[in-house]
Amino acid sequence: MMDEENKILNSQSETDSLNVIGEPEKAPNERVENENEAPKPKKFAFLKKFSPIKKESKKPALTPEQIALIEEENQACIKSGNFETFNDDVEAAKEQRERDRIAAEDAMRPADPDALLEVRHLKMYFPLKKSITGKVTLALRAVDDVSFKLKPGETLGIVGESGCGKTTMGRAVLKLYQPTGGQVFFGGKDIAKYKPSQMRPLRTQMQIIFQDPYSSLPPRSTVGNILAEPVNVHKIVPKDEVKDYVLNVMDQCGLRDYYFDRYPHEFSGGQRQRICIARALSVNPKLVVCDEPVSALDVSIQAQIINLLRRLQEQMGLTYMFISHDLSVVKHISDRIGVMYLGSMVEFGDKHTIFSNPMHPYTKALFSAVPNPNPDVKMDRIVLKGDIPSPANPPKGCKFHTRCPKAMEICKHVAPQYREYEPGHFVACHCYPQEEA
Amino acid sequence: MAEEKKNRHYLTGKEIRAIAKENNKIIRVLEKKKKRKAVESEFVTEMKDPANILEVDDLHSYFYTDQGVVKAVNGVSFEIPQGATVGVVGESGCGKSVTSMSIMRLLQGPHGQIYSGSIRFKSYDFKRDEKGKTIPVWDDDAYGNPQYEQVTDKKGKEKLDKAGNPVLTRKQKRDQYGTLQFEMEEKVFDIAEMPIKEMYRLRGRQIAMIFQEPMTSLNPVFTIGNQLDEVTLLHFPGSTKEDAKRRSIEMLNLVGIAMPERVYKSYPHELSGGMRQRVMISMALAGDPRLIIADEPTTALDVTIQAQILDLLRDLKERINGSILLITHDLGIIAEMADFVVVMYAGRIIEKGTASEIFHHPMHPYTIGLQKSKPTMDSGSEALFNIPGNVPNPIDMPDYCYFRERCSKCVKACFGDYPPMVQVSPTHWVACHLYADKEKTE
Repeated sequence: MMDEENKILNSQSETDSLNVIGEPEKAPNERVENENEAPKPKKFAFLKKFSPIKKESKKPALTPEQIALIEEENQACIKSGNFETFNDDVEAAKEQRERDRIAAEDAMRPADPDALLEVRHLKMYFPLKKSITGKVTLALRAVDDVSFKLKPGETLGIVGESGCGKTTMGRAVLKLYQPTGGQVFFGGKDIAKYKPSQMRPLRTQMQIIFQDPYSSLPPRSTVGNILAEPVNVHKIVPKDEVKDYVLNVMDQCGLRDYYFDRYPHEFSGGQRQRICIARALSVNPKLVVCDEPVSALDVSIQAQIINLLRRLQEQMGLTYMFISHDLSVVKHISDRIGVMYLGSMVEFGDKHTIFSNPMHPYTKALFSAVPNPNPDVKMDRIVLKGDIPSPANPPKGCKFHTRCPKAMEICKHVAPQYREYEPGHFVACHCYPQEEA
Repeated sequence: MAEEKKNRHYLTGKEIRAIAKENNKIIRVLEKKKKRKAVESEFVTEMKDPANILEVDDLHSYFYTDQGVVKAVNGVSFEIPQGATVGVVGESGCGKSVTSMSIMRLLQGPHGQIYSGSIRFKSYDFKRDEKGKTIPVWDDDAYGNPQYEQVTDKKGKEKLDKAGNPVLTRKQKRDQYGTLQFEMEEKVFDIAEMPIKEMYRLRGRQIAMIFQEPMTSLNPVFTIGNQLDEVTLLHFPGSTKEDAKRRSIEMLNLVGIAMPERVYKSYPHELSGGMRQRVMISMALAGDPRLIIADEPTTALDVTIQAQILDLLRDLKERINGSILLITHDLGIIAEMADFVVVMYAGRIIEKGTASEIFHHPMHPYTIGLQKSKPTMDSGSEALFNIPGNVPNPIDMPDYCYFRERCSKCVKACFGDYPPMVQVSPTHWVACHLYADKEKTE
């Protein structure tokens, strides 16, 4: 290949030089043209192989009339239930347009004054591939269009399998990641576009407890230093009162006062998680994101930590966003529950409605998979086939259709709408009517 | 002096040296015993109950650390009946994993050692003649006449002798997976007494283990097929690479992997967590074991994948007629899978019995607390029962009941010796002073 190209290049340069000699008057124009058009694309021909532009240009772009026509055909397909001639790409583009339109509409609305935290169409994409120009061509959609509200003093439980984007969402809400799109209203202000320096005063109001207490504490600081640092940085109390303040926080979290001078490695997992909780609470936050706070702990210690979290909530009026994969724990602590699958919220609602009347097939399967500590109860569980698909290349249509026991033909092509079926109970599934009755 | 020692949470150099000297003395003796050459009669014993496949009797496994002796397993006895699932449940650090490692003799030496006790295992191994060779089972015809087949070389060509005639051998029987058959016999080994070299006969072949984290227990630089074939090539004499591959793919099929040919060629990182755990299970099954030790097989997996794996394990147990020793901290899994339950706390068994006894009539305060402290799907949102405090320091265990500091039902006797095991029903034992007078003897 390269040889051939070289030959062509050589031959062209030869003709160029001949032209120059043979016809001097015409030469400048032609030479410029030749240089600009003929040799240059040849020279960088190999680059085209990698550029995404070529692929797009190969496919003739559809005119708006054509798109409208295909959309009509698609609608006919949905009505007749025959999906043989269905155009998935056009449908996906249409859905994307629709989502963008709704997001833009919603962005104009003011924040809900009752909610402490309101998240609207939050998107968090991680770039996987970039073109030469720096444009992201392939992104991992960790969180894709998630919306919810959280009132002060409430606990929101987020459940889902690993890799469904629960942790990413928790961090994006706290702006530990910069969200790709959407709005995050905290106390009525949209913090999604805030700079880190603007976020700093807000950090006293929002804190996080991490999953692994073994790796989230600095091994070279004493407990006292760990707890005093946020107090000093945010100037919560005057310097001479810091120690008393820290000891008070430790007492609230069930830590003895002589732990003040000890190092994290001297403690067991449960005690370390208490230190993490004390660190988060030392700045008097309003919102605490608990990212799997009890997953790494033993059963008997889990109960201690959960009770501690609940007691602190009552005392200090905290609002929790409780992320966990353990449904029984989430059920115990939450007022509202959101079920996530592959970056999207598939069901959201009040704890009692979700547990008494789970609507989405994934929620049903998730609930039935929890082992019951009663040997006599034989469960007729719904076992989902296969694994969670890659969020970089999610399935078309409904993301869950590859594993859904109730999948229909329409699920493979059309994404279901996230709609409110009962007051405060949102579901995205084709099993339920999609249009307003 | 003694009081002063209690308040310190460190050791002086002098004390550490004294401990190390003491440890070395014991370790040397135990290591010598582990590496000795022994004739088979030294470690062949009899089972107490022939219906059992494994009997653990007063097992003590210690770790000789620089801070002192950690009695990780301190007098554990239980048995696994043939075809049953026994669940061991307890918090982390209670010695459940060390028990399973002791059964496999995989304790990290020289610090981890089986100090005393016996582990009797009924193995079903190749019968060997006086020279130590396996005895093949011939595939004769109905009249007892020997059948012959051609010998092929490595490339699959027929082997010829000098005269150009094909070489013939007597045909040997093969099982459904195409593995050569040999005469088998049942033998009872005392695993605790066996020299470490003899353990190769049991590990992977008679007792297989499924580890907690499938990513760390699969070798990242070899393909799945390579690692699976190894089991067959090691444990089934006379099997060729083709035999091994055929068997491996059969095993991958058995655990419900959709495209076994493709998984066979792939590397561990290409598979998801659930798939890796399936591969681990298929690897455990490849040796055709009688006992599978599943050490927290679903802890690293999601709820939905966990449901898949538990279904698979239950299904397989019936199909291969094996026994399972299931180690987990999740009471829900135990309730679903196990026939018998062993509850461990700080290196000792505090309660054991059938699953319905443990879950419907728990006796030990720790078992009761453990069940109450786990929120379930049916429970309301009232405050959880919690067991106060932590597990005691494994070094310098007290001589009274280890649970005394955390127990809410202490009686006077609790300030005395460690409570003995009390039999409250034919299958139910509990180690607690509360039930000392309720003993039922047959």
